[in-house]
Amino acid sequence: MLYYEFRKILSKTGNRIALLALLVLLGVTCYFAVNGYGTSYTDEQGVSRQGISQVRKLREARLAWEGPLTEEKLAAVIRKHAAVIATPEYNSKDATEMNIAYSWTQDYQDIRQMICRAFGEFRSYDYYKIDSLSPEDAADFYPNRIRALRTWLDTEAKDMYTEEEKEFLLERYEQLETPFYYTWYLGWDKLFEYGPTIQMIFVLVMSFVTAGIFAGEFSNRADAVFFTSYHGRKKAVTAKLWAGVLLSAALYWIVWGLYSAVVLGALGADGASCQIQVHVGWKSFYNITYGQLYLLMSFGGFLGSMFLLLLNMLVSAWTRSAVIAVTAPFIMIFLPSFLSNLSVPWLSKLLGLLPDQLLQMQTSVNYFNLYEIGGRIMGEVEPLFALYGVLSLLLLPTVCALYRRAGRG
Amino acid sequence: MQLRLEHVTKRFRETVAVSDVSVTMENGVYGLLGVNGAGKTTLMRILCTLAVPTEGRITCDGEDIFEMDMRYRKILGYLPQDFGFYPDLCAEDYLMYVASIKGLRPAAAKKRVEELLHRVGLYSVRRRKMKKLSGGMKRRAGIAQAMLNDPKILVLDEPTAGLDPNERVRFRNLISELSQERIVLLSTHIVSDVSYIAKRLFLMKDGRIVHQGSMEEILEHTPVRAWLCTVSKERTNACLKKWKVANIRAGSGGNELRVLSDLPPMEGAAEAELTLEDVFLYYFGEKAGDDDALL
Repeated sequence: MLYYEFRKILSKTGNRIALLALLVLLGVTCYFAVNGYGTSYTDEQGVSRQGISQVRKLREARLAWEGPLTEEKLAAVIRKHAAVIATPEYNSKDATEMNIAYSWTQDYQDIRQMICRAFGEFRSYDYYKIDSLSPEDAADFYPNRIRALRTWLDTEAKDMYTEEEKEFLLERYEQLETPFYYTWYLGWDKLFEYGPTIQMIFVLVMSFVTAGIFAGEFSNRADAVFFTSYHGRKKAVTAKLWAGVLLSAALYWIVWGLYSAVVLGALGADGASCQIQVHVGWKSFYNITYGQLYLLMSFGGFLGSMFLLLLNMLVSAWTRSAVIAVTAPFIMIFLPSFLSNLSVPWLSKLLGLLPDQLLQMQTSVNYFNLYEIGGRIMGEVEPLFALYGVLSLLLLPTVCALYRRAGRG
Repeated sequence: MQLRLEHVTKRFRETVAVSDVSVTMENGVYGLLGVNGAGKTTLMRILCTLAVPTEGRITCDGEDIFEMDMRYRKILGYLPQDFGFYPDLCAEDYLMYVASIKGLRPAAAKKRVEELLHRVGLYSVRRRKMKKLSGGMKRRAGIAQAMLNDPKILVLDEPTAGLDPNERVRFRNLISELSQERIVLLSTHIVSDVSYIAKRLFLMKDGRIVHQGSMEEILEHTPVRAWLCTVSKERTNACLKKWKVANIRAGSGGNELRVLSDLPPMEGAAEAELTLEDVFLYYFGEKAGDDDALL
């Protein structure tokens, strides 16, 4: 039964086109991830080039700074930068000369960005901040991160959090292990940057496929034969649901696996053990590594996709319309983006718990939405997993129960 | 096997689609005749548990069919009027899928599907997509799916609708073959579909069974007679207004009319043998002329 449900889904021309579109969009996303901003290498003549071989050169240059980011290493970066900015090339108005000067800085660009964040205000970023620093300032690199948070909590965010929440945030900041370990992480960085895009594309394309699983019986006018069959109101309905769930799950891991393999294969997989604070999560209070964030993104994306596609199947079973069913994931993904423009504190907390957040874990770990559940304060990641884990499990029998009743007038 | 309908009524808000229907069926072919909108499809859907009656009950060998649930569906085969399928599946896969939801084990299903494909003459096109089959082939695939579980109750709703005369004859013969040791209920508004094969007929009008019996009983108890009379072409229109005319045949000496009337409509009218088509026209009046009702 399950086998023929798969055949029904995969034999539909519309579904085949949707899956082909998914493959094309996966290719396009991989292309942008591999060739996007920050993947070019500038040689000593000031000429920038892109491509896998150029990424390798960039990697070699950056690996010169690999290791714990100690005070000495940070001071060395500040010193090297001071030397670069004193050169005539750096101060020239000629683009080629400026590019030559840039080529001398590209090995420490990652560390430069960290320094600029550490010495800037909590909610601002000054790319040239490093220009005004001296090697002695390196000692303040790690304390500054905590100091900036404390200042922000005492001023701008004074009324946004309770004392317990402020204490929680500061505690998490203080718990972060230092010094950071620095290595090449561009592969992960790009994977995280385009990860939400591919996960959203997956949900939106797959919603076309899953929307027809239940509604298709009605649109094909095959419902009468289906519901009058022996298993029509029991096992056959369950088989439909499993076909949708298994197909979605299998395709999710294939798409996500291919995307990860292409991006990490092209840009390098080093840096899995780096703290996310070295780049994507400088301000995050989640003290996790790039490897752990990847797992969060993978499973968050999986849970979010499954929930949204189950919701899509529920609407399909309920309304008997694939067209209406397709709109459900669209609304769930795009409506929060519109609502997030409204700066209402409770709305921000609510939006933090919507399922689209599961498809963008790299931003979820950076949000300062706090929830107190059972006397424990936590960010949005933990409740998101718990909430949608339970809701997804509840959706399974609900979809079946709704559909079993659908064919009786 | 006995299927019994007791005072079955189905209302949709203000509309009464089926009204107080009580019939009993045992093995054999039963024809449900009525014009479009008479309530045939609603009654069939109730019989197939797709709709629940507002009042009354249906029993199969004394047990309520809705309480039997899966056990009833196990012995049921249904070809809906609006027979739908999965257009991108080939005929064989379509039947294999239906076999699986009808609870046939894969090995048995494969054998049964092959057997039915041969029986309905679709074996040579078994790998052809359903959407690419002709109308007649689709209908034959429909009857094959209804027969997969070797049902004891076979419900066929307008099975010949849209078929050409050749396909209709072929279909009729197929149904006749399949009718051994089972109840076959065949709904139609085409008199010739059932006149040859049904052992009992139900005439349905406005949701009610207005007359039932064997063809002979129905012909015998219909309070009208058929007359053949020839009139000039100029008088034809006046005759059409005055009497129920079942047929007009143009001839060189005028039009030969088949008039339904208790008494001879005019001098020289010759009595003809009453047919089921005449009865149909008598009970369903002008509506009987809808679509291809009298074909």
